[in-house]
Amino acid sequence: MISRLNIILAASVLILAALSLLVGPAALGPGESLSAIFSSDGGTAALIMREIRLPRALLGVLIGASLGLSGAALQGFLRNPLAEPGIIGVSSSASLGAVLVFYSGLAGASLLALPAGALVGALAAMLALIGFSRGNTATLTLILAGVALSSLAGALTSLALNLSPNPFASYEIIFWLLGSLKDRSMEHVWIALPLMLAGWIMIAVSARALDALSFGEEAAASLGVDVGRARLLVVGGVALSVGAATAVAGAIGFVGLVVPHLVRPFTDRMPGGLLLPSALGGAALLTAADIAARLIRPAGELNVGVVTALIGAPFFLWLVAHSRREVQS
Amino acid sequence: MAVSAHVSDLIKPGIAAFIAAALAYPAPAHAAGPRGVMSLNVCTDQLVLSLAEPADIVSLSELSVDPTLSFMAGEAASYPKNAGLAEEVLAARPSVVVTGTYSLHNTTALLSGLGTRVEEFPYQQSIDTIPADIRRMGTILGKEDEAEALARDFEAELATARADLGGVHPRAIVFGPNGVVAGAGTLQHTVLEAAGFRNLAAERGMTGMAPYPLELLVADRPDLVLLSAPMTDAPALADRIARHPAIAASGAALPSGAIPAGSWDCGGPFTLEALRALRSIRDGLLAEDQPSK
Repeated sequence: MISRLNIILAASVLILAALSLLVGPAALGPGESLSAIFSSDGGTAALIMREIRLPRALLGVLIGASLGLSGAALQGFLRNPLAEPGIIGVSSSASLGAVLVFYSGLAGASLLALPAGALVGALAAMLALIGFSRGNTATLTLILAGVALSSLAGALTSLALNLSPNPFASYEIIFWLLGSLKDRSMEHVWIALPLMLAGWIMIAVSARALDALSFGEEAAASLGVDVGRARLLVVGGVALSVGAATAVAGAIGFVGLVVPHLVRPFTDRMPGGLLLPSALGGAALLTAADIAARLIRPAGELNVGVVTALIGAPFFLWLVAHSRREVQS
Repeated sequence: MAVSAHVSDLIKPGIAAFIAAALAYPAPAHAAGPRGVMSLNVCTDQLVLSLAEPADIVSLSELSVDPTLSFMAGEAASYPKNAGLAEEVLAARPSVVVTGTYSLHNTTALLSGLGTRVEEFPYQQSIDTIPADIRRMGTILGKEDEAEALARDFEAELATARADLGGVHPRAIVFGPNGVVAGAGTLQHTVLEAAGFRNLAAERGMTGMAPYPLELLVADRPDLVLLSAPMTDAPALADRIARHPAIAASGAALPSGAIPAGSWDCGGPFTLEALRALRSIRDGLLAEDQPSK
């Protein structure tokens, strides 16, 4: 059952990634586009495919997978259906960290400074929220704390960019708060990929502990699960995945919220079994959203975070209403 | 765009300069010719610097010393600066204020209403309007002869350049921060054409400053991509696009710093420097090989 779901999801990721490679302002035929990826003749089509569209499609898949996986891990670990890197402020804190390191010029104009700052920001947010959530088990308390953290990080990001002497910096607020995959290069893939992989592995290793934690921390401990270790894995894994994703694409919200809920009915509803389908579903959703961002307004494309918010925010409202009914009944 | 984005810079240099300006020029009451010109715009700053007697310059705009926008930043350094505020004008009481039609509409309207003589110069749109602007500034400053000489030299060099274009026009594009390019109707467009280039952005139907997708830049295979240098040392993602590997791999010539900074952001006698630089780039391209079209 789960494996069939994963096969279907993996196939949709492949199809959407291929479609993503076909979307762009340069008029290239589908056959020409796809064969140009494997050509190294330095021709126009090869250049566009290998240097512009391929990194974009890869980042859509990698970042979507990171966000979907992180959402599933957070929902399982916090036992909170509303948890998600964007909503609880991990993404915006990662943006803030990246912005502080990059725009202050501390590390020159190097791109390598971005993930370093974003990781620190994401990690700080995770630690703050985990600290806050211990002893506050109510679903909405954590979300409210996350919303406050998210607003604060967003405001500080705007402030930092407004204070930059570079006149273009303030226009980049929208990138850091709403995310975009526009004009990325393979360099972005290479700086994000190793960190994301490390994060994915940490979360995957925690799968069994997440299953046990769904019965509560004490029950999990009595089942022989090292709760402290699981916490470390989830905090580190989410910080690595979301930090790396945000460093190269800005804060993209709601993917981690929507996807686990969409795929959960097709799984055994255990947090561990939800991880892989959520990663695949996230990759598919973000790739689709990025295609939409380019097609809706081809002249000046939308930020992909706008598209995911248009899908995700109504979904979030529905979830809030739904979970409140559950609590009351 | 860049000019208005620099507002935060206007706060920096302190009030001392403004006070000095105010004290140094207490209401000149000369009847013979205008005395004391105050410029509120980086483009009029440079026309003033080209023509006025140093003693007649009350103050220049803050941007006049920004080396990325102002070709004459060095010459501007020794003069008092203004932030374009009506209060500063009223305190300094110059006999004429010169500014651009794109800047500070409210200030201009307020000053005109209060009886200050304000001369507005249109936002520079063409290499061909520069001589007329030089002459007009000469009339305002009482420097008609000097202005006439400068304008004639400009016209002569422009005419020589145009007579010497030949049949081969390589395709060029001015690719700025965030991938914003100079399309038809910009000063850069007319300088490119006068130097014997075809402006790719204009051929793609773009007017004014417009975003140009990176994919099209690669697909269109320009012979020359003019990347602008970052405006400050402070990093911004906007400047990263110039470093995208696809641009370097496209095979276009990418001369860095080839056009003297500020020489074609405003029109003035110095815009000839941009024309000369482009002509020498074109000579190099044509000597290297036969461009595609």
